[in-house]
Amino acid sequence: MQLHLLNRSVASSHVYRDALRAMSDDDYLLLIEDGVYGAVAPLVEHFSSIAGRLFALREDLESRGLEGRCAESVIVVDTEGFVQLTEETERTVSWF
Amino acid sequence: MRYALLVQGAPYSHQAAHSALRFASALIDRGHRLETVFFYHDGIYNAQRLATPPQDEPHLIEAWQRLHHEQGTALLVCVAAALKRGVIDERESQRHGKQGHSLAASFELTGVGQLIEAAMTHDRLVTFSP
Repeated sequence: MQLHLLNRSVASSHVYRDALRAMSDDDYLLLIEDGVYGAVAPLVEHFSSIAGRLFALREDLESRGLEGRCAESVIVVDTEGFVQLTEETERTVSWF
Repeated sequence: MRYALLVQGAPYSHQAAHSALRFASALIDRGHRLETVFFYHDGIYNAQRLATPPQDEPHLIEAWQRLHHEQGTALLVCVAAALKRGVIDERESQRHGKQGHSLAASFELTGVGQLIEAAMTHDRLVTFSP
């Protein structure tokens, strides 16, 4: 089981497609930095294939004024939750 | 658990160093150990001795040095990436006939082999890129 980190917005980079292609059925994806733009409708639809396994970092949502606009399907975690995700998964893969 | 971080983003240009430092303090708060931070590509600018940010902005270089002093975290800088960007310690400065040196205290120049070593010997390696 792996944790994938994405720090690019789906609106400005296609690297999210590589991340989704590389993900196994039980992998998690955490949106950080500009990646959190993907947690907002309609961009969040790009991640419909991994519903329940999509996370977004609270601090990065807040600093972009997006916290109230985050889609309900996205699990919001703070940095402590980020560390917890790295505890649960064997390896972390960063996409940028 | 034993953690290593890989930082590839320059300070004050990208969020990578901020994200990594925030992650560092959270993992320590959860009882883990941050044993190694490896700086690669433009991340080596995190080791600039003469960085002088305004007083009302976070001093990222000092934040890394605090980790070294308080947690014993090794701050490893890729020697090849650093030298060609002008981040150089006293020894390399003399060896190349340069005046002065620019690597901040508590950071050390190492080969990229140390990154492979960190990946193999630590429980977790997390990469923060620009």
